[in-house]
Amino acid sequence: MSQEQSAKLLRIHISEADRHQGRPLYEALVEKCRELKISGATVFRGLEGYGETAGMHKPHLMRHDQPIVIAIVDSAENIARLMQAAGEMVDTGVMAVSEVRARRVQKKAADQGGIDG
Amino acid sequence: MLTRGPAKRVMIFLNEDTRHHMTPLHDAVMTYLMHKGVAGATATRGYSGFGGHHTLHTPKIEVLAEHLPIRIEFVETAEKVEEVLPTLYEMVTDGMIEVQDTTVVKLARTAGVREPVLPHQRHEGPAKLLRVFLGEADQWHGEPLYDAIVKQLRMMEIAGATVYRGILGYGAKGHQHKRSFWHPMRDLPVMISVIDTAPKIAEAAEAIEAMLEDGLIVTSEVEMVRLVRSGPATEAADVPGTVR
Repeated sequence: MSQEQSAKLLRIHISEADRHQGRPLYEALVEKCRELKISGATVFRGLEGYGETAGMHKPHLMRHDQPIVIAIVDSAENIARLMQAAGEMVDTGVMAVSEVRARRVQKKAADQGGIDG
Repeated sequence: MLTRGPAKRVMIFLNEDTRHHMTPLHDAVMTYLMHKGVAGATATRGYSGFGGHHTLHTPKIEVLAEHLPIRIEFVETAEKVEEVLPTLYEMVTDGMIEVQDTTVVKLARTAGVREPVLPHQRHEGPAKLLRVFLGEADQWHGEPLYDAIVKQLRMMEIAGATVYRGILGYGAKGHQHKRSFWHPMRDLPVMISVIDTAPKIAEAAEAIEAMLEDGLIVTSEVEMVRLVRSGPATEAADVPGTVR
């Protein structure tokens, strides 16, 4: 059984149409995660939603403006570092952090230390 | 009431033409079992056989083509078996009764008539939320890993699981998961979220960890409000995945 450790789960809720320096914001955020050596990030596209701007985010034939959630699991310090950086990039959006227990499974290669390895 | 888990299997070996009062014994046994509310019973006719009398009964030789073997089997709880066994012992005047320990893995039946829609039942309380991060291309014995995990959870009667496909991500394997025009073959990130009570989630985490080659399992505390359509009173007790 692998080691279970306490970690933080950060979810950033934004819109697919959000841009950062000309490229999709979610791509820029994932790029930032890599830059900050965050252990991983996953982007999900929602079907429908609404938020700060009270505009409904719905799929459209031409326009893509669906809700986006980026989920990131890492240690508390790394998440704090990321939130600092992400806060500057996100224009309108929500960041939610929750306490979690994380268990890293890696059977092929030897474990490279904790989840922030 | 027969449920998943340990149970007893009873087999009764009879002759086709042994009689019990005026009816064939196998008919009498089946009628008795049905009358006692046994979950289910099956009578099968053997092709050939021999028993205590040491005569081979086979349909190939006309003289011996009587006394063909009949086997009745049923699976029930230990208590029910104890209840019906004395009478069966009395009834089987020529044959054999055998009892084995067995395990019921699945009990399912398709709903015959549509039940009237009843109001929701509300289950509330602390629960655990488990998230598994993996890749869409991960395989498990030739099938997609996320598929295999959901099937496994279903078999374990975990309350529910949802598979999400991400559109972009990176993680354990270090490479970027992204679909582009030139690479339609995909290995997009996948997340499975599972909610159930703490002991069930611990069980699920163990099972998932055994299947996962490379990935991340994350659990957190949640408050669960679960709405379950209540079935008819008799079935409410064994709704699959009922929080216990």
